[in-house]
Amino acid sequence: MSATLTGRSAAPVFPAWRGQALDEILYHCRELVEDTDFPTVRRWREAGGKVVGHFQVYFPEEIAHAGGMLPFKVRGAAVEPTQAESHFGSYLCSILKTSLELALGKRVELDLFVTHPICDAARNLAGVWGRNLPYPCRILYLPQNPNSAFAARYLRDEYDRTRRGCEEIAGRPISDADLTHSIAVFNENRALLRALYALKRERPWQLPADDAYVLTAIGGLVPREEHNDLLRAVLPLLEARAAPRQDKIRVILEGAFCEQPPLDLIRAIARSCYVVDDDLLIGLRWITSDVPDGGDPLLSLAESYIERSAHSPVQHDLRKPKDRMLLERIERSGAQAAILMAAKMCEPGLEELVVHTRALDQRGIPYFVSEFEENMSSFDSLEIQLETFVENLLFD
Amino acid sequence: MDDTAKDTGIVGRGNDAGARLFREWFQGLTRAADEGRGAAYVFVMGSLCELLRVFDFPIVFPEINSLQTAVRRVAHEYLNEAEDYGFSPDICGYVKADVAVQLRGGAHPMGTIPKPALAVCTNACNTYVKWGEIWERMYGMPLFTLDVPGSRGAGLASASGSGDFELDRRYVEAQLRELIALCERVSGVRFDIDRLREHMAHATAMNAGWARVLELNRSRPAVFNALSDGTIFLGVANGFRGTAEGAAYFRDLVEELAFKAERGIGTTIEEQWRLIFVGVPCYPIFRRFTELFTDWGGVFVNSTYLWFASGGANLGFAYDLARPIESLAEGVLLGVRDAMDSMFFQTRALAGMVADFAADGVVFHPIKSCRTVSTGLADTRRALMAVTDVPSLFVESDLMDRRVVSEAQMKNRIDAFFEGLASRRHQAAAATA
Amino acid sequence: MAYAAGVDVGSTQTKAVLINEAREIVGRSLVDTGANVMRAAETAFAEALTNGDIEEEAVEFIVGTGYGRYKVTFGNTQVTEISCHARGAVHMFPGTRTVLDMGGQDTKAIRVQPSGEIVDFCMNDKCAAGTGRFLGAAAVALDLPLAELGPTALKGERAVKISTTCTVFAESEVLSWLGKGKKIEDILLGVHESIGARSIGLLRRVGIEEQVTFTGGVTKNEAMVATLNRRLGLSVNVGDEAHYMGALGAALFALDRIVAGRAPAHAPGGAA
Repeated sequence: MSATLTGRSAAPVFPAWRGQALDEILYHCRELVEDTDFPTVRRWREAGGKVVGHFQVYFPEEIAHAGGMLPFKVRGAAVEPTQAESHFGSYLCSILKTSLELALGKRVELDLFVTHPICDAARNLAGVWGRNLPYPCRILYLPQNPNSAFAARYLRDEYDRTRRGCEEIAGRPISDADLTHSIAVFNENRALLRALYALKRERPWQLPADDAYVLTAIGGLVPREEHNDLLRAVLPLLEARAAPRQDKIRVILEGAFCEQPPLDLIRAIARSCYVVDDDLLIGLRWITSDVPDGGDPLLSLAESYIERSAHSPVQHDLRKPKDRMLLERIERSGAQAAILMAAKMCEPGLEELVVHTRALDQRGIPYFVSEFEENMSSFDSLEIQLETFVENLLFD
Repeated sequence: MDDTAKDTGIVGRGNDAGARLFREWFQGLTRAADEGRGAAYVFVMGSLCELLRVFDFPIVFPEINSLQTAVRRVAHEYLNEAEDYGFSPDICGYVKADVAVQLRGGAHPMGTIPKPALAVCTNACNTYVKWGEIWERMYGMPLFTLDVPGSRGAGLASASGSGDFELDRRYVEAQLRELIALCERVSGVRFDIDRLREHMAHATAMNAGWARVLELNRSRPAVFNALSDGTIFLGVANGFRGTAEGAAYFRDLVEELAFKAERGIGTTIEEQWRLIFVGVPCYPIFRRFTELFTDWGGVFVNSTYLWFASGGANLGFAYDLARPIESLAEGVLLGVRDAMDSMFFQTRALAGMVADFAADGVVFHPIKSCRTVSTGLADTRRALMAVTDVPSLFVESDLMDRRVVSEAQMKNRIDAFFEGLASRRHQAAAATA
Repeated sequence: MAYAAGVDVGSTQTKAVLINEAREIVGRSLVDTGANVMRAAETAFAEALTNGDIEEEAVEFIVGTGYGRYKVTFGNTQVTEISCHARGAVHMFPGTRTVLDMGGQDTKAIRVQPSGEIVDFCMNDKCAAGTGRFLGAAAVALDLPLAELGPTALKGERAVKISTTCTVFAESEVLSWLGKGKKIEDILLGVHESIGARSIGLLRRVGIEEQVTFTGGVTKNEAMVATLNRRLGLSVNVGDEAHYMGALGAALFALDRIVAGRAPAHAPGGAA
């Protein structure tokens, strides 16, 4: 059931998949993930709901959810940034421009937009967005010094500020009880996503990378309760899926933490490899185990951001040096090789490539490096190179 | 009158003294490198020099080292070396130039740069952090990221003393105490709060001096060129932050510029146009870049560069030495936050600058290397054009990479801009005639 | 009767225009720039004099423009081609508020006041995508004469999406579409769409205000005009003198100086 919101009907915004067979479910999910008109967000608004848009990578969606609002993950789209382009200069990644395009072109209407300074380009988004759109645009300062003993306390207070901001938009208070309830919903969501990823890791032939991607991405588009319903329904179907095991190499995909590769590219990769782990949409899976119950929910959420979280090039944490995190991911997932990606013009991504390639060279782990762009439509060249890479490994 | 001014030697003193101080600084660094002493690597937006000097660290500003390779026309060698090492052409040129300096064991046109014993950055620029991670890996040295929460939105900077401000300030203070503990461990020097007071006192004097220097350029004609001269003053403001020499420098500089202002002594050219500069200078052709404007009689009277690249020293914050650590936290928070605001939420401040300094035009100079400064510049310009009708120019190049700096193309745009300014002035004169 | 001259030294072609005091074009010429830029400027000027049957001494002021404007050594001063194109366009079409100049090497978008004063401008001279050069690359790839590109593209029905942003790779992309069985007409339409989209991107940066005047060598290409009109949702002004717009603007600036030189009141301040 959809989030409780007084005065709004609880009709699901994404009903198409319910009661369908697995292939139909995946079809509907793919359609929704690639729909640049964002019909679910539209339906939510039409029913009187409010939308909190948040940019990559991580946002404490529970807070918006606790206010009865829809947290919508802004992550670019396959659109031409005709209006947005002139608001930016050159040498920039695509995701900033296409994201603004969604707003300027009214494909998505928000009540609040929140960003965190993940990188030097994206931190300008709050300013640009705020100058061109009528609703509040705010910056959430997640701690860049998570190793400080005071960081959790600071973040708790920052989350409280976020709560107050959401209360203003929602027009109602957000209590600790509301937060606790929302945390429970998101804990379940994260557990289901972990189960999804476990299946992908253990039996990748039953869950190709593009299917897994689509099932994950839905989370950023619909109320979490609906996403939980979907995942709960789909997991047993996937487990029971009759798919032959093929002779593909096991790889991890690293570098798609912000701008997302097109689905067709993920599919192309899945044709040659089993992607057994990745950082695709890592923000939706940032917290790696349950946020504990009891006590101050905002503090628990804050501590979880710091203590039980994944890694990305845009978070600096002395306990999570990137080279070690990459090697651990490879080891944990039993991968044989890595596909290292960076979005074009993505400064943190490009910088991380240097670290990653050296670390893998030292360990003698094979890897394939490629740049990508969310709007690329032809990957013939990439596919040929990847197939060659894979063949080299298979026939070594 | 001008002759006597030159005879007393006061005019031009600041530029000469600045160059001398720079040489001395790098000589000191070379000695430290030879002695194998580890330095503190810091950045212009939140350098914490006041604190780090208490522990006797030689202070290195990698940003300044990198821009010097461009000014001295050897940046391309350093960039090529870093790109051969694996860094993309599309990332910040400052980082790459420094990587090459490190790969060369500290060899730099101005001397030898000692290796880092620790690095301190703030979050004012995300590249700082990725840069620091490079040294972490190269040297196994600690990177301390001082997290300074910025404004949560345009016009939303919390006021000093307010509840929201205090939440941020105490986070900064807690981190400063952690930094002190780290510095003690790394340097082996015990923290001395009186020494901190001393350096903070000098910094207070320098903050006041910086604010006064900027203000003096409201004079007509302007007493210094914010682009060329300003960069020298800025170098001292950063490199000598918290020192007695830095304080003396700014005392003398204020005296010199006030002297000029009283007598109507301007820069080396006859001022025809008063301009504001938004962005980071084009260091690869630094002198020529300034000339492209001065050839038309264009003088830069102020620049947002002198705001953010001074870490917000333009606020002229005075530390309260009765509560040094608490006050340091407050000063750093205000300064670094303001530096961020002058990059991301600068429309109103820019409009104010245009009015206060009687500017004829604004030059926006986005650069390939620096996304922090450049990403929002096209939109900021649109916003400025919506609130004032001051003419503006948008010309792109880079702060390091000669390959994307085309003098001919820039000159074309700059000349067209001045043609427009002249035509506008001509039409206004004809209208009132 | 005094005459004013404008000499526009472009990287591929040099144009010269002579105007009389009534601001009418009385002579013009167009030569290839070649390797000797100074000589090209001199030749163009000489040929314009011949074309208008005008004595050199009757020309009282000469303005050089274009990338080689400093090589017009016999000229009296230089003005950027940005200012000159704006001036020329407003002269030809007084309702002009936005100018799009698409040359062989670069593209410029300029917004102007009714007085002709420039409000804003934006140039693409870093990269050939979005310029006439892209058309040249396509012509080479398809082995078609440049003049046939427009008429062929006009026959296209479903424009192919050209995704490369680099002219150098455009050739191989065009060939790869041919290999996939796409029609030349549709490929060429796609090329025009791609150039049009990039040019309009430039225009948006300065703000699009009617009327929009299209100038430069590419104006002869009907498919480009049609593409721009369709994408902009309006009709761009295209003059016969599109090639000469820069030289015309320069000549107009030259005439200003002649007139100012005669005025009894003191000359206005400021450079140029």
